Amino acid sequence: MIAARLAWGNLGLHRRKSFLIGMIMGMGILILFLGNSLIDTALSGLQRMFVQGYTGDLMVTGPTEFPTTVLGETAGSEEVLPHIAAINKYQDFLSKRKDVAATLPILSGQVSFGIGETELGSGYCFGVNADSYRSFFPGNVTLVSGAWPKDSDGPWVLLSEPTLAMINKSASAPVQPGTKIIMTALANSAGTVIREVTVAGVMKFNQSNQQLAGITLVDADTMRDLLGFASLRDGAPNLSGQEAAFVSSFDPNSVFSNLFGGPSETAGQGSGTGSQSPGAASQLAAAPSAGAPSSTVTSAAATAGSTSATAAAASTLIPAWQFLLIRATSGANANKLLSDLSAYAKQIGDGDRVQNWVAGAGAVARTAVTIRLAFDLLVAVVAVVVVMIMMNVLIISVNERLYEIGTLRAIGAKRRVVRGMILYETTFIAIIAGAAGLIIGLFVLLALGKIGIRAPNLFFEALFGGQVLKPMVSGGAALRAFAWILVMGLGASWYPTVVALRIEPVIAMRGE
Amino acid sequence: MVKFSKGSAMSDIIISLEKVKKVYFLDTVEVDALKDISLDIHAGDFVSIAGPSGSGKTTILNLIGCVDKPTSGTVIVHGKNTSDLDDDKLTELRHRSIGFIFQTFNLIPVLNIRENVELPLLLDNQGGERKAERKDWVDYLVESVGLKDRMLHKPAELSGGQRQRIAIARALVMKPAIVLADEPTANLDSATGESILRLMHHMNETFGTTFIFSTHDPDIVEEADHIIRLKDGRIVEDRRRNRALARTVREVEVESL
Repeated sequence: MIAARLAWGNLGLHRRKSFLIGMIMGMGILILFLGNSLIDTALSGLQRMFVQGYTGDLMVTGPTEFPTTVLGETAGSEEVLPHIAAINKYQDFLSKRKDVAATLPILSGQVSFGIGETELGSGYCFGVNADSYRSFFPGNVTLVSGAWPKDSDGPWVLLSEPTLAMINKSASAPVQPGTKIIMTALANSAGTVIREVTVAGVMKFNQSNQQLAGITLVDADTMRDLLGFASLRDGAPNLSGQEAAFVSSFDPNSVFSNLFGGPSETAGQGSGTGSQSPGAASQLAAAPSAGAPSSTVTSAAATAGSTSATAAAASTLIPAWQFLLIRATSGANANKLLSDLSAYAKQIGDGDRVQNWVAGAGAVARTAVTIRLAFDLLVAVVAVVVVMIMMNVLIISVNERLYEIGTLRAIGAKRRVVRGMILYETTFIAIIAGAAGLIIGLFVLLALGKIGIRAPNLFFEALFGGQVLKPMVSGGAALRAFAWILVMGLGASWYPTVVALRIEPVIAMRGE
Repeated sequence: MVKFSKGSAMSDIIISLEKVKKVYFLDTVEVDALKDISLDIHAGDFVSIAGPSGSGKTTILNLIGCVDKPTSGTVIVHGKNTSDLDDDKLTELRHRSIGFIFQTFNLIPVLNIRENVELPLLLDNQGGERKAERKDWVDYLVESVGLKDRMLHKPAELSGGQRQRIAIARALVMKPAIVLADEPTANLDSATGESILRLMHHMNETFGTTFIFSTHDPDIVEEADHIIRLKDGRIVEDRRRNRALARTVREVEVESL
């Protein structure tokens, strides 16, 4: 206690130095608190927007070389995303877990919109089953006009408001629910695919940014067509006996055996190990577009050419999906789920990618995460400088108190009293300056929230965690800032304490 | 009246120096501050160590005060060889057995008078006396040095003489066997110095505490009943005299002036 009493007294006696150190600490806490709060705001805003509206907590994609966003962007050069061949296995696996609330398979890609032969613009589309999509993202889509399509409806599209505005800008007559429009895409395996769809309605996303607001929802089969996957709209492929026999005994290696001179493998014996290979009798490609990744059939009966065999096959067809979005239950450990699911994906062995919402969100979330890393790095660099400044000031302070410390030692103060005195001084300054910094920071955050600055572009949307800056007052950020400053303060006290402990009691005898 | 338990027997040797040498190394130069010093000090003595500047007065006090160790020889304080003690044990010995009065007072500026006197007690982690007893004892000491009405003042608000009185009270608060005073009157005018010396005498007689003070003032030297004179690091005089007789002689001298 005496160490605390002496420390408190010294703060008052050496006001200027205490104030200087306090200013540094207070500024540090203010910057850390504001910075961390804004970054927390950005990340939690983005997380809320993406997890609740676009990506879920986790997502599985087919085998890609690089992380893939839900809009189909990868850092690599993949042009068409592969599908998840064993999606049923993932769904089975996930349905048994208590930490999984729901799953949603989707497709995505970029398409052009037109009427007749007139092209009216392009945009991103999600290929979904309407009911499943609505139940997975219950709060994120509002129907502005028209009606929610049913899965039994023919090809449909739900245009987003920005997409409708873009189309209507060039269309000769206003597009509205019931209008038929043309959707075109260039699938690298199937060439240009053109589909006519009916506008079921116009919708808007409740949480979005400039990029996401333009996404259009289209029925999954149309999206499969546009991406070059086999559509299952008409059921299983109706193969003639000759076609079925060809497919069942097809050995891709035999096609090239003459070229490379290698022995050809016996049909059905080995080359078709993946679900995308149509060679295996047990996993037959269901009428893909030429060379395209396919939906798969898990029944050998599909090899038969009869109508009944085709119908049987249709009942076990697994439609192609590019993404499986996963929502964790509230309070579940998403990292544990990610780790378990990654292990399961490895066990399946298709090379599917399991990733979190940050990868799914893409550049905007990566920007926020990068900003956090850059901020932390900056803080670390500044911390070193600040610690050096504080250390210098504290050493000066110790040197000015040589006789006082020597006297304390002479009259019986052990080293721990001297050490405690200096550490208490730093702690007191940290508490007082910290409180001041946090209070000022709180007012700044509240003021920013009241003003509500609007983000001018995507970069600022990433910074703000949405279109408008509404910074959250983060208790975690306050604690982190205080902990940082306390650690810095105590770190800065280390060397001055060593200096103080070297002061011998004999110094007291030398006079002031 | 309060009598200190430690070292109260007048005939006991409380401090003993045996062939003590102290060499300081100033860069490459060796300075012999003390050369083969041997002396004994009895409990309850009122000792003056006299000599010109550089004679080794403060060095002896440093060794007796356990704030320094001899280069060779033995320093025994209150039955303990200081060369055998580590830093913590020396600190403990200083804390329990030795009070310090410094030439420059060395009060802690951030503490008030009462806290300054109480400080050594507050450093005592063992608990010791209870708070009420502690308060009574501190009040008694502050009253004894005549500064009861300045109890809550800071040292900066006191005169030099008043500060030295507080330093005396602080030196006694742990009821030590020994009080060391390094030129306690050097920074004071003669009247104040006289009063400080009287106060030290009074405390010596009241509590039986051994007082050892260094001085170069010949008048003050003669106030002691054990006089040690130093020159160039050697003892040139180690004289004991009857204190009552010394006082009578001095009073006669004062009256004849």
